[in-house]
Amino acid sequence: MSGASFVPVPLQQDDTVLLPERIADLTGLGGLGTAGELVAAFIAAFIVGNLMLAMTGVAGPWAKRKITAAFTDRIAVNRIGPFGLLIIVADAVRLLSKELIIPENVDRPAYDLAPIVVAGSAMLGFAVIPMGSGVHLADPEVGLAYVFAVSGIASIGLVMAGYSSSNKYSLIGGLRAVAQNIAYEIPLVVTGMSVVIFAGTLQLGEIVAVQAEPLISLGGFTIPQWYAFVNPFAFVLFMVANFAEIGRNPFDTPEAPTEIVAGYQTEYSSVYFVLIYLGEFLHIFLGGAIIATIFLGGPAGPGPAELGIVWFLVKIWAVFLLTQWLRSALPRVRIDQLIEIGWKGMLVLSFANLVLTALIVGMIAS
Amino acid sequence: MIGLLKSMATTMKHALDGNTFTVEYPETAPDVSPRFRGVHKFSQERCIWCRQCENVCPNDTIQIVTDDQRNGEQYNLHIGQCIYCRLCEEVCPVDAILLTQNFEFTADTKADFVYNKEQLKAVPWYKDIDPLESREPDRGAWIGEGEGAVDYQ
Amino acid sequence: MSTGLEPRRQVGTAVETTEEELAELIGDRALSRDDHKNAPGFVIRPDEVQDVLFDLRDEAGFDHLSCLTAQEYEDRYESIYHLKKYADPTQEVSIVVPTTSDEPTSQSAEPVFRTADWHEREAFDLVGIDYEGHPDPRRILLPETWQGHPLSLGYNQTKPQVVSLTEHANPIQPDQKDAESDTMFLNIGPHHPATHGVLHIKAALDGETVVDVEPDVGYLHRCEEQMCQQGTYRHQIMPYPDRWDYVSAGLLNEWAYARVAEDLADLEVPEYAQVIRTMGAELCRIASHMLALGTFALDVYGDFTAIFQYAMRDREVVQDILEDLTGQRLMFNYFRLGGVAWDLPEPREEFFEKTRDFLDELPAKLAEYDDLITGNEIFQIRCVNTGILEPEVAKQYGCTGPVARGSGIDFDLRRDDPYGYYENLEWDVVTEDGCDNYSRVLVRMQEVEQSAKIIEQCLDLLEDWPEDDREIQSNVPRTLKPEADTETYRAVEGAKGELGIYIRSDGTDKPGRFKIRSPCFHNLSALEEMSEGEYIPDLIASLGSLDIVLGEVDR
Repeated sequence: MSGASFVPVPLQQDDTVLLPERIADLTGLGGLGTAGELVAAFIAAFIVGNLMLAMTGVAGPWAKRKITAAFTDRIAVNRIGPFGLLIIVADAVRLLSKELIIPENVDRPAYDLAPIVVAGSAMLGFAVIPMGSGVHLADPEVGLAYVFAVSGIASIGLVMAGYSSSNKYSLIGGLRAVAQNIAYEIPLVVTGMSVVIFAGTLQLGEIVAVQAEPLISLGGFTIPQWYAFVNPFAFVLFMVANFAEIGRNPFDTPEAPTEIVAGYQTEYSSVYFVLIYLGEFLHIFLGGAIIATIFLGGPAGPGPAELGIVWFLVKIWAVFLLTQWLRSALPRVRIDQLIEIGWKGMLVLSFANLVLTALIVGMIAS
Repeated sequence: MIGLLKSMATTMKHALDGNTFTVEYPETAPDVSPRFRGVHKFSQERCIWCRQCENVCPNDTIQIVTDDQRNGEQYNLHIGQCIYCRLCEEVCPVDAILLTQNFEFTADTKADFVYNKEQLKAVPWYKDIDPLESREPDRGAWIGEGEGAVDYQ
Repeated sequence: MSTGLEPRRQVGTAVETTEEELAELIGDRALSRDDHKNAPGFVIRPDEVQDVLFDLRDEAGFDHLSCLTAQEYEDRYESIYHLKKYADPTQEVSIVVPTTSDEPTSQSAEPVFRTADWHEREAFDLVGIDYEGHPDPRRILLPETWQGHPLSLGYNQTKPQVVSLTEHANPIQPDQKDAESDTMFLNIGPHHPATHGVLHIKAALDGETVVDVEPDVGYLHRCEEQMCQQGTYRHQIMPYPDRWDYVSAGLLNEWAYARVAEDLADLEVPEYAQVIRTMGAELCRIASHMLALGTFALDVYGDFTAIFQYAMRDREVVQDILEDLTGQRLMFNYFRLGGVAWDLPEPREEFFEKTRDFLDELPAKLAEYDDLITGNEIFQIRCVNTGILEPEVAKQYGCTGPVARGSGIDFDLRRDDPYGYYENLEWDVVTEDGCDNYSRVLVRMQEVEQSAKIIEQCLDLLEDWPEDDREIQSNVPRTLKPEADTETYRAVEGAKGELGIYIRSDGTDKPGRFKIRSPCFHNLSALEEMSEGEYIPDLIASLGSLDIVLGEVDR
C-alpha cells in the first residue's frame, strides 16, 4: 500500500494524545504528511508490540516456572543469571534452534497459518488498550467491540491448528476449543455490555476516564468508581468467562495434557510451537488487559499519572498470577460440564446481570 | 464454592511460607543412610576367590577369572548392570566386597561401567561412612583386625 | 509376645465348605485328587471346566477366581484354577485341568469368571494351551506375530526373535473407515501422558463418548516369572519382587514371595522379624498410596501441580525412613526367607523418633489433602459417579485391594487370611460403597491412616522388645531344596490388592514353575466395564483410580 492512498482512520476523539501522534510530534515525522503519520504509527505499534512480547518472554519461560515452583514447594530456575533470569535467553535459543518437524499429512497453508493467527489476534487486541503514561495506540469509538472481535479470531486459529494437524488428539482439542469459545464468548460479551451501559460508551479511553470518578469517600480516602467495585457480580462473571475464553484452569480442556496430550498443539514443534505458546500467553495478558481496563480503572492508581503504565502492568500481572494460582489448586472440569456451565449457568447469569444493570442505570437516570 | 476456596487457600499457604523441599544438588549433597547401597569396593588382598559372590549374583554381574591353581586373575563387575541387591556382600565370608554409599558415578559408554579389580579398589568411600560398621556391626567386630578402623585396602 | 488383642472379625463368616462337601459336589467329575499345600485339588476333564466351576461358584460360593496357572509337564499340559471366596479367602480349592501334549485344548472358564478372559490369553501366550470357547483367543503379553510359547518345554530360549513393525499387526488396520460410521478410533498410548507407563488403550469414540475400550498390555513384559524360575529360592529371587510393582511397594511384594516360599519349605519366622516386616510393609503401603493419590490428582487436575508435588514430598519422608531401614529407596531387597536382612538401624532411638515424627505429622497432612482434593467441588463433580464398578462386576473381574474396597467389597487378606503380625494389631479394613472414582480415592486416603495406626503399634512393640530376644532370621539352610512336586499358592495384600504367587518345586534349588498373580492385571481388565459410555476424561480418571503399575501388569 502506498502512502498516498492511505486514509487515516480517526484515531482520536477528544483531548487524549495517542502514542503515534506523540511520536510524530517528537520526531518531526508529522510534518511529512500521511506517510509520516504512517511511519509514526508503525513505530508506536512496534513499541507496544515489543512491550507485550517482552512480557510474555518473561512470563513464559521464567515467571511461570517461578510461580509454579512457589506453589509446589520447589526452587525452580536459579542457575543462570540472577534469579535464573537468563533462562529466558537459554530457552529462546533452545526453542528456536530445534528442528521444525512438519508431519507428512498436514494441511499445509492452514497448518502454517494457525500459529500466526493465534499469536497475531492477541497482538491486535492491544492496539486499543489504554495502558497509561501515554501508551495508547488508538482509541476508536467501538474499542470494546473491537477487542472482543479480534480476540475471538484466535478460535479460528485453534480450529485451523486442530483440523490441519491430521492428528486425532489435535482434532478433539480444536473442536473442544471452538465449543468452549462459543459457549463463553457470549457471556463474556454480554457481561462486558453491562459495563457499557454504565459508561455509556464503547470507547475504552472513555470507559477508563469514567472510572476515575469517585464512588464514595470515606474519611478522606476515596474509592474510585472502578466497575469491579460498582458491580462485583459482573466482575466475577467476566473473570470466569475470561478464564474459559483463554483456556486456563479450571477450563483448560482444549489442551488437557492428561487427556488429549496437548490438544490442538500436539503436532507443533520449534518456532510454530513457540508462536502458539506466545499466543496463549498474549491471550492471558490481553484478557488481563481487558479486565484491567473495563473493571479495574485501567492505568489508574496512586501517584502521578506518569506511573500509569506501571499500575496497568501490575494489574495485568495480578490476573496472570491468578491464572497460575487457579492452576495449582483447581481440577479441570470435564468438557460436557464445561459446556453445561457455559450455556446453562454463565449465559443466564450474564443476561440477568445485563437486565438488572440496565434497570438500575435506567432508574438512576430517570 | 467453599471447597474451591479452601483448595486455593492451601496452595497459597504453601506459596507464601517459602519452604522448599527440593535441594540444590550438587551444592547441597544429599544425606545418605549408612545402610545405603552404592558402588562396590573390592579388596584383592582379602579375597579368597571362593566365587560365592559370583554364584549368588542374580543377574551375572560379577565375573571372576582364575588360573588352573584357582589363583584369582580377574574380578570384573558391571556396575551398570548391577541391581544393588547386596547379596555378594552378604555371602562374602571375608568381606572382600562391600557396597559403599557412593551413588555418583558416570561413564560415557556402557562398556565403561565394567569395572575391573583395580577400578573397584579405587572406588572412594562416600563421606567416610564405613558400610560394614553401619550395616552389620557384629560382623565388623568379628572380622576386624585389632584396634581401629578396618583396613579394606 | 501377645498384645492380648483378638482379631475382630472371625475368619469363616462365610458358609464353611468342607473337603468332603467339595468332593461330593464335584462327584464323579473328579478324576483324581491333586492336593496342593494351600488347598484341596481336584483333577477334572478338560471339557467339564465350566460345569464344575459353575457348580463351585453357585453352589459352594467360590466366587473369586484368584489365579490361573498354566504349565507344561513332560507328558501333559495343566491349567490350575485357584478358587477362593471373597467372604473368606482361607477357603480355597484348586481345580486342575490336565490336557494332552498333542492337543492341549481345554474348555474356557470365561463364561463363569470374566477374569479368566485375560488369564487364559496369558496361558495361551506363554504356555500354549488353547481354550475352547474363549471369546478372544489372542496373545496378550507378547506381540501377535511371536513364534512359539516361551514357557513351554520345547521352546528355544536362546533364539532371538525380531518382531518388526511391518510384521506386527497394525492396530489401526481394521479401520473404521466406512462412510456410515460415526465413531473414531483413538490410540491412547503407548506414549501418552496419562497411562502411567507403557500402556496402550484402543478406544473407539463417539464424539467425546467412549464406546469401546480395550487395554493392550505387554509393553513392559520382562519375563519376571521366568527369571524367578532361574533363580535360587534362598537368595536370588528376593531382589526381583521389588521390580514388579516398582513404585515403592517393594516390601509388600517381597512379602508375597517370602510367604509362599516359607510356606513351601516350612520355614519359621521369628516374631520379632514379623513385627519389623509388618512395619516395613505398611510404610511401603503409605508410600504407594501417596503416589497413587498424587498421580490420580495429576490425571484429574491436568498438570504436575501442587498436589502431585505435595504427595511426592510426603512420600519422600517415608522413603527416607525406608532407606534407613533397608538401605535402598525403592529396590529394598530387605526380606529374607525366615526373617529380614537387618535389625532396625542403630541408634534405634533415632529411628523411632524419625518414624514417630512422620506419624505425628501425618494427620495434618491428610487434612490438607482433604482440603485440597476431596473437599474440592470441582473434584467431586469430576469423580463422584464416574467410573462405576459394581461389586458383582468387580468380583467377576477378580478385582482386589482398594479397587474392590472402593466398591464395597469387604476383602483384605491382612485380616481375612492373616499373616505377619496383623492379627495381633488393632486396625480396620476400610470400605466405601460409592463404587466410583471418588470412593477409591477415599479408600486409599483412609488406608494411609490405618497403616499409620499399624506402624504406631509396631513401633511400640519394637521399642519394648527385650534386647536378648531380637531374632531377625530363623535358621534357614544355605541351599533350599523343597520336596519335588510340592505345589502351593499363597497371596498377601499388596499395595494394589491380592498379590499371589504359585510355586511348584521340582526337587532342585530353583522353582519348577513360578506364577505371579498380579492385582493390577485384574484391576486393569475391569477398565472396560468402568469407562464405556463415559467421556474421555472419565476414562483417564478411571484408569488413574485403578492405580496400575505396568511393571506388575506385564511382569
